[in-house]
Amino acid sequence: MEAYDLFPGCVIQNRIPYIEDSARKVFDKLGIKTSDAPFGCCPDPVGFNAVHHKSWTAMSARNLTIAENDGRSIASLCNGCTQTLKAVNVELKQNEEERASINAILTKIGREFKGTISVKHFVQVLIEDVGIEKIKEAITTPFTGLKVACHTGCHYARPSHIMQWDDPMEPKCLRELVEATGATAVDYDEEVLCCGAGVGNTEEEPAMQILKQKLDSALEAKADCFVVICPACFQQMDGNQRILKKMFEKDYNIPILYLTELFALAMGYKYDDLNLKLHRARPQALLEKYNAV
Amino acid sequence: MAVIDFEFRNSIIQKDLGNTLSYCYQCGTCSGVCPVAQVTKGRYNPRKLILNSLLGLKENLLLGAENNFNIWGCTVCDTCDEMCPQNVELTEIFTILKNMSVKKGEAPDYYTTQAKFILEHGKAIPLAPAIERRREQMGLPKTPKVDKKEIRALLKETGLVKIIGSLEEEKKEGVK
Repeated sequence: MEAYDLFPGCVIQNRIPYIEDSARKVFDKLGIKTSDAPFGCCPDPVGFNAVHHKSWTAMSARNLTIAENDGRSIASLCNGCTQTLKAVNVELKQNEEERASINAILTKIGREFKGTISVKHFVQVLIEDVGIEKIKEAITTPFTGLKVACHTGCHYARPSHIMQWDDPMEPKCLRELVEATGATAVDYDEEVLCCGAGVGNTEEEPAMQILKQKLDSALEAKADCFVVICPACFQQMDGNQRILKKMFEKDYNIPILYLTELFALAMGYKYDDLNLKLHRARPQALLEKYNAV
Repeated sequence: MAVIDFEFRNSIIQKDLGNTLSYCYQCGTCSGVCPVAQVTKGRYNPRKLILNSLLGLKENLLLGAENNFNIWGCTVCDTCDEMCPQNVELTEIFTILKNMSVKKGEAPDYYTTQAKFILEHGKAIPLAPAIERRREQMGLPKTPKVDKKEIRALLKETGLVKIIGSLEEEKKEGVK
């Protein structure tokens, strides 16, 4: 199996490291080999790109040169990092003029973008490098009966002409992976709806209204929990349920699990092993039903 | 009254990122699929933003305008780009407009604060001592050291240092 440079991204690495921990545990079980590298910020496709597109491109290109020098492709744990790194990688591989202009900047810090590696979201690595069948073989604590609302998030497969992976408006891979644990991926109306984090940088209220739509729709479909693959979505959905309570006087308390957390649980790790008490919407009661506490 | 500024329109179209602007025929698909347009009852309206860009109505976009939610209301979900029948890359056009808005000192604080963090620490979220301890307890590897000096040199070269610097200057002048 191909070895990767791991790109945890700064939200996971420096704010919610229990997700990195679950990913490393799952990768070990499945034989996915990764190395650490001194990457800078990806940087954020919502924030930093809006401030200065050229700086965003150059920072991302610098990260790509680090992986190129290691001779390894990048496996990312975050949607945002994946989109930034992939968008710049694709752009600089295809657009000679832009590549020359960015290389003119990179050369000042002794670097050159060569276009020799690729960038993958960890979901892509799980599907392509490991495969559903091998994942099923590693499951020891099946989640039969668990109803999951899958939330892929926006920057995972859009814009499709750049991401070239899964379906941008009807994503399938996350559902397949969730169902590999024995759980059921429920159909709910707002499955492709954004979590609302982006507009939250400007104003809180519309971000919370979008989040409410999303959670209400999953609850209507009788989902027990969400499974997500992006730390920005995770923080928005797990951390802001108490704001929803204040704003709309409704108790949500719906657990948000990272896909790697669900996998680690299904592979035999327990609630405490994974520090799941650090979630705001604690999944303890739910997981007790599956002997995962 | 808003004044048409063709130079402004051209400054969008001539950029690599903005050259799909002129394909827009104002069908409104973008506003129909936009989650922010729905919850703000049209206060944020991507079709209108594109129309104003096409017409060169700078004052309706770059702000100090009546509706200062404008371009910064975009949640960057990329749904409009995906659904646009003309393949107009709206999010990229809004990126150009946002970059202009930043230079005018009109961006929401979140954005400039994050940029300063990246400039200073090389990351949007630097490693805090409490998290470092937690990582250690979890048995996670030490996070590799980021070359902050190299990143600062890079961002000086791209022009970010200058942009942030002049925003700081303006702020100081404002205080005086």
